[in-house]
Amino acid sequence: MTTTRTNNTVYIKKAQERCVSRYTVPVKIGALFLCILVFAITLPSTAQAPAVRFVDVDGKIIAEVPAHSQGEHVYLPVDTVKQVIDPATTHQYNHPRQRLVLKAKGRQIRLQMGKPTVSIDPDGQTLTLSTPPIIIAQQPMLPIAFFIQLLPILNDVEVIYNSNLNKLQMRSKGTWIPVETNNTQNLVIVVDPGHGGSDDRGCEGSTGILEKNIVLALAKQLQRTSRQQEIQVYLTRETDTKKTHFERIQVAKQNRGQLFLSLHCNASFSPHEKGIKIYVNNPKGRLRFPSTAKPALTGQRLKVLAQADFLKQSQDFANALQTELNFLTETPVQIIGLPLITLSEAYMPAVVLELGYLSNVEDLERLSNSEYMASVAQAITRAFQRYISSINQHIPPTVVEQ
Amino acid sequence: MKYNDSAGFSRLLVIWGITLIAVAIGLGVTLFLIERSKETVIPVAPPPLPTAANPSDIPPEPQEVNLFLLDATALTLVPVKTERRLHIELTKRLNQIVTALIQETPPNFRNTIPRGTMLNEVYIDSQQTAYLDFSSHLIDGHIGGTTAEFLTVTAILRTVFDAVPDDIKHVQILVDGEEVETIAGHLNLSQPLHLPQ
Repeated sequence: MTTTRTNNTVYIKKAQERCVSRYTVPVKIGALFLCILVFAITLPSTAQAPAVRFVDVDGKIIAEVPAHSQGEHVYLPVDTVKQVIDPATTHQYNHPRQRLVLKAKGRQIRLQMGKPTVSIDPDGQTLTLSTPPIIIAQQPMLPIAFFIQLLPILNDVEVIYNSNLNKLQMRSKGTWIPVETNNTQNLVIVVDPGHGGSDDRGCEGSTGILEKNIVLALAKQLQRTSRQQEIQVYLTRETDTKKTHFERIQVAKQNRGQLFLSLHCNASFSPHEKGIKIYVNNPKGRLRFPSTAKPALTGQRLKVLAQADFLKQSQDFANALQTELNFLTETPVQIIGLPLITLSEAYMPAVVLELGYLSNVEDLERLSNSEYMASVAQAITRAFQRYISSINQHIPPTVVEQ
Repeated sequence: MKYNDSAGFSRLLVIWGITLIAVAIGLGVTLFLIERSKETVIPVAPPPLPTAANPSDIPPEPQEVNLFLLDATALTLVPVKTERRLHIELTKRLNQIVTALIQETPPNFRNTIPRGTMLNEVYIDSQQTAYLDFSSHLIDGHIGGTTAEFLTVTAILRTVFDAVPDDIKHVQILVDGEEVETIAGHLNLSQPLHLPQ
């Protein structure tokens, strides 16, 4: 009995030793990887970020500058000032004192690393940056805030920054013909939040979010944003109510609408399809009506192909929307011509804007994000301005005088 | 639990083995029943055999028909070849073709027409316009969105024009015998449609 117990003990000890020798190497390797992982996580997160693209008013790239990111902030090398502000820029950097002096556009800009204050001479102007400049790899680096806040002063431009895509757009002040002229003050825009009511909910995202609610919220936001720019916007519905296409167009007619924008969310059979799409009502598009439109088979009303008269203007507005919305997304915004019931009786330039796919996870996330939707509202407002401006440029002086 | 007893260990192995086999069989039977129940909910249409009185109506050999379905990416409509004995009469032939489009989706393809949609009737007028009358599930079961609506309509049109290019010039979609403005609230279907060349 005692012999058996001793044998068992020896056997267990040997087994334990075998087990220890067998697992020692993998355990050590595992521990090493864990250490590396912990080290990597705790390292100060200074990394090469995707390049920042500086684009002009039409979305064309002016400069593409490799950037560094630290935390949530993006930093650019000092030479960027040469590329985007003034090619004749010179700079001096005092290493011990960590002071940077830039000479650009006949002004002297003084910065202290780690401090947000910027002084601009000879004006004596001071500016507080939202993010201070810092040193990365012994080099002074300028935060993106420097360009956002300094460019309007030095280059007399308006700046819009898309932090998701690292895109910074510069547009000359006064690019747009002011809206205070007689004809533009009266340019009434009708925004149609698609679907509505319990019967017509539109598409549904996997999170349960509904198209009818997304577009209504955006339409209201768009109305506010546009009014700030003195652009009159009426909505075809302001609550979750069902409206026929005819009733929606009636709202536009009653308010003497001159531009009709119908807001929708898209859906696809593929979960990978994403992006913004703009549709113009074209009975000769990817689907076509017969050359001789005939009365409806059993319907009461003759379907008037009213949009045929406004195809060119609708296309112009679609182009304006495309240019502005391309700034928000990496997937190029497409314009497609189809016969559309939503716009079939709109006797004015009109487009359908599909804001993104609720069947796609990325688009769904964006469409559920209030910050992104606010930027969409801003982009659409800029498209209104762009379109109004193009109309004003084409109106003969005599018409303006009237 | 002691594993030094080899007999006990073997017994444990046998018990575990039997349990795993039982679970696998149970899972297999469940999946089989689910598959069968799917088949009973959405009947897969056998190629409708014409009930023509005159046997000369039926061609001796099956003909190739392309059904336009979404490929594995679910982004692009592609022609999927099928063979069937088609009725010689145009209306009935068109009925067979569109019914096949609705009901037959081979593996790795996806149908753009909502499951459960039925084709009620086909009419053809003197101007070579085909009126395809679908059940209301075409609207009620649709996922919505302009892209999906466009693909649904295009799949129907391409299948029809590919199968009978000389006989049909336009197609109008009806639902429960009525003209409809749209399927999902975007496309204008109030007129007959055709595709650009």
